Amino acid sequence: MRLAPGAMLAALLLAAPAAAQLAAAPASPVPEGVTEGEGAANPKGHYAALDALPDWGGIWFVMFERPAPGAAPAAGPKLKGEYLERREAWLAAARANSGVVARNRSNCSPPGMPRIMRLAQYPYEFIFSPGRVTINQEAWMQTRTIWTDGRAHQEDPDPTFMGDSIGHWEGDTLVVDTIGISGELEIDTGVPHSDKFHLVERIHLDPADPDVLVNEMTMDDPDALAEPFRVTARYRRDRYGSLIEFQCSENDRNPVDENGETQFN
Amino acid sequence: MTRSAIRWLLPALALTGVPAAAHHSYSMFDMKKTVALDATVARFKWQNPHSFIEADVKVPDGTERWAIEMTSPNNLVQEGWKRTSLKPGDKVTIWVHPLRSGAKGGSYVGVRLADGSTLGETD
Repeated sequence: MRLAPGAMLAALLLAAPAAAQLAAAPASPVPEGVTEGEGAANPKGHYAALDALPDWGGIWFVMFERPAPGAAPAAGPKLKGEYLERREAWLAAARANSGVVARNRSNCSPPGMPRIMRLAQYPYEFIFSPGRVTINQEAWMQTRTIWTDGRAHQEDPDPTFMGDSIGHWEGDTLVVDTIGISGELEIDTGVPHSDKFHLVERIHLDPADPDVLVNEMTMDDPDALAEPFRVTARYRRDRYGSLIEFQCSENDRNPVDENGETQFN
Repeated sequence: MTRSAIRWLLPALALTGVPAAAHHSYSMFDMKKTVALDATVARFKWQNPHSFIEADVKVPDGTERWAIEMTSPNNLVQEGWKRTSLKPGDKVTIWVHPLRSGAKGGSYVGVRLADGSTLGETD
């Protein structure tokens, strides 16, 4: 059949949405380690079991303990190879410019893992549901998903800000294993890591104070770290607090110019 | 800028400043220096990533508009702040760590409100 050009265009415009409606529903595969019909995607019937988990209700603020006067600063990650060289170049640049260093991305871009678990200004909440723990972060309104339904890590996860996290409960301690964090991100300001960065977190209430949550973090990286880096984050509870919206583009007073200088408007 | 409008405080006061950087580095501010601004509030923005005060400071030939960055609203709530704590026209004293660049801006330390009550760290 021969159609006039106008008719062909009309047919194309009509065809696209119709085809989308007729296609089969998306069907992602069952994750490795999860039995079909079970896991986080099939929560029904598993909510009552959540009551056995510890009480992490409310929101949580990072606690910063002021070092004692004259105390040596806490030891940072021990870098090696090109990562150590990058760190030294970063420090030299900072010293040469009153602590100011160039940025290569917007301040509206989140820091990602693991730094986002140790931010001073923005609290967190932990949501339990069958087969997963969700950490909502006020900072940049980021969401972290930790799969606790027995699934394995993705075989080749896309590098992301949050990485691929799987976890399990050891008594009242949530043990989380994270890979797949983008190598563009940092362990701490000016401390780079590779895309092989690996983080284990042991998160539990402080036995001495149930309103304090403790996150014992162990980081390793075969390319960037000479030895595992261990650091403990502590969070204090605000029982009836709630997270506040974070829409950076609505209040962006610190754009980054073409030289990497953070502006102040 | 006169000394009556801006009082330079002892650097020791500044050692009890803002916690570690989150949304961006604090290296743009001189955290070892604190100045007090006798100012009239022009605008108060209660929003992440940082609440913000714009205020006019009297100088001999008029006023200077200062931009003052604060911490997050949720942290300010812990300190007793509310969205309605400041409104345009309020006459206040604001303590800040000034920008290193000398531009009219700084990082919030504390405030004395029009009714004499204080929030944050004041002298």
